[in-house]
Amino acid sequence: MAYQFDFQPVFAQGDRLLQGALFTLELTALGMLFGIGLGIVGAVVRAWRIKPFDMLFGVYVELIRNTPFIVQLFFIFFGLPALGLRMNEWQAGALAMVINLGAYSTEIIRAGIEAVPRSQLEAAAALAMSRMETFRHVVLRPALASVWPALSSQVVIVMLGSAVCSQISIEELTFAANFIQSRNFRAFETYLVTTLLYLVMAILIRQLLAWIGQRFVMRRR
Amino acid sequence: MDFTLWDIVRNLLTGLQWTLLLSLVAFICGGMAGLALVFARLSPIQPLRIAARLYIELFQGTPLLMQLFLMFFGLSLLGLEVSAWFAAALALTLFTSAFLAEIWRGCVEAIPQGQWEASSSLAMTRFEQMRHVILPQALRIAVAPTVGFSVQVVKGTAVTSIIGFTELTKTGGMLANATFKPFLVYGLVALGYFVLCYPLSFAARRLERRLNATAA
Amino acid sequence: MFKRWPIFLTLTAGLMAQLPAQADQLADIQERGTIRIAVPQDFPPFGSVGPDLKPRGLDIDTAHLIADKLGTTLVLVPVTSTNRIPFLTTGKVDLVISSLGKSAEREMVIDFSKPYAPFFLGVFGPKDMKISAPADLSGKVIGVTRGGIEDIELSKQAPEDANIKRFEDNNATIAAYLAGQTELIASGSSVMAAIADKNPERTPVMKITLKNSPNFVGLNKGETALKDRVNAIIDTARTDGTLNGVSQRWLGQPLPADM
Repeated sequence: MAYQFDFQPVFAQGDRLLQGALFTLELTALGMLFGIGLGIVGAVVRAWRIKPFDMLFGVYVELIRNTPFIVQLFFIFFGLPALGLRMNEWQAGALAMVINLGAYSTEIIRAGIEAVPRSQLEAAAALAMSRMETFRHVVLRPALASVWPALSSQVVIVMLGSAVCSQISIEELTFAANFIQSRNFRAFETYLVTTLLYLVMAILIRQLLAWIGQRFVMRRR
Repeated sequence: MDFTLWDIVRNLLTGLQWTLLLSLVAFICGGMAGLALVFARLSPIQPLRIAARLYIELFQGTPLLMQLFLMFFGLSLLGLEVSAWFAAALALTLFTSAFLAEIWRGCVEAIPQGQWEASSSLAMTRFEQMRHVILPQALRIAVAPTVGFSVQVVKGTAVTSIIGFTELTKTGGMLANATFKPFLVYGLVALGYFVLCYPLSFAARRLERRLNATAA
Repeated sequence: MFKRWPIFLTLTAGLMAQLPAQADQLADIQERGTIRIAVPQDFPPFGSVGPDLKPRGLDIDTAHLIADKLGTTLVLVPVTSTNRIPFLTTGKVDLVISSLGKSAEREMVIDFSKPYAPFFLGVFGPKDMKISAPADLSGKVIGVTRGGIEDIELSKQAPEDANIKRFEDNNATIAAYLAGQTELIASGSSVMAAIADKNPERTPVMKITLKNSPNFVGLNKGETALKDRVNAIIDTARTDGTLNGVSQRWLGQPLPADM
């Protein structure tokens, strides 16, 4: 009895897959928004050595970057309730994504900020720009512009990594695939279709971020 | 069936060994495959270039977890016997090769065009150019990002727990359930990865700094 | 480059044709001298791990029984509820002895032996929670392992607004209940008994019976010779009291008379 490929049972569940893909995108968007926000704060604190927070952010960045995402997720979801900190799976998943992307973008954006030449700051001071204006136009914008490609790839990596969120019962794309597979027993076909969906999403996110980068971040004044 | 702290640590250390072994296999085999990919990616033969690009795009654009599932359930449909260990090693190797190829391509392309021109004027073949002129220089700038990426490989092995490979994370999951101490167990698991990864991150940063210092 | 496709396809087809097509799995097993059996390791008392991390439990004892009677060496393959059927259909194991219940969906994909152990599925929760019928599950958070009979039954019986959380393996389902991530848990009665004494605060008490769903050995479709052999072994073990002994040892109760 040779194995007969049959994709029909997978496509019959197309709605469920698309719903899952949507949740993956939502998680990613949430992670991106707050993760990069956290990254900007962390980067400034680290680049300008604001004590004692630079130390704290340093430890945070090292802890997160040197442990797997799935372990962070399990620790938050299964481990933290022992300390009385209980979150539902969506909160735990979103928190893990924000914390994870936050650590990476701290390092990425910091590199951008440190690459801003001193002379630029002096020039801004000479133009009597306020601290806030200086930060926005002279530091942050050029820093983000120079690291935007790196930041974009990191967002895609985090989106793909979110596949393991299925393990704590978040109903994202991989969860949908596992669910369908456990009902129709067509493991290979289901995962193949799901993989292609992820690929399409990765390409779309990359394009979207490239567009955002050109339109808003690297825009000339 | 009572677990002492030592039972937990002892079992986690066994899991850690598998994590380490899997990381080494993936990194070494992935490195070799990655090198071949760089050649393909920079080859003058267009179909080869396109194939290498598609390969890299595919493995960088899909979750490692899906690659594992496909490898695990797919290969056995082709009549090949695949253990969780083999599927994990193969999937991680392919994953690693795609990323390393892309990192190394960047390094090769950072070598000034003049080096290619000079070496071709010496009537070197393309392979000789790569072997004697380009790669030795590219290697110097490649060391830091390569060591940095090895951290991603070690962390990537954690995902193989989901297809049932008993490495550190899987051992942790089993222990968390058998002992009912998830906070302690996952804390120790995280510590295990940190001990493996931090020295690598640290070394990568050091190497990068040294390189920048000599370049300046 | 697409000209090469036909070659690739022929190659693939060739490989696939070599799959156990004419296969008599029983002959294969005897020739190999080993039998690979899928067992749980996150489902006490059917299968869990001891301090040496080796699986042990009722399902493991049953696997040993069958391997011994077949005169083959036993290779235990730990699986989860979700992947045990793919393991069988993709040829990674010869048999599934993993607290497997029978359902119409599954019977389309695999075959079942005669039952070897009793199993009662239910919804469990803390003592003081007032739940007595499926309708009471409305608005409650219930954890279940995806793909098990308990998942299918719960999905069928629970009201629309019950909040069902599905986990990949029993480890995660149980951990989520014990950590308070879910209010209730749908699982087997013996499994709950096994975790009860470890966790006095969240001792799970049976609230609703979902299904009486005895355990069967799962086999690939059409393996009649193997199936007959397994059934014969189970029959003998039932009459000579071996199965009863296994049930006494792990479940603390004799085999039900109707089995």
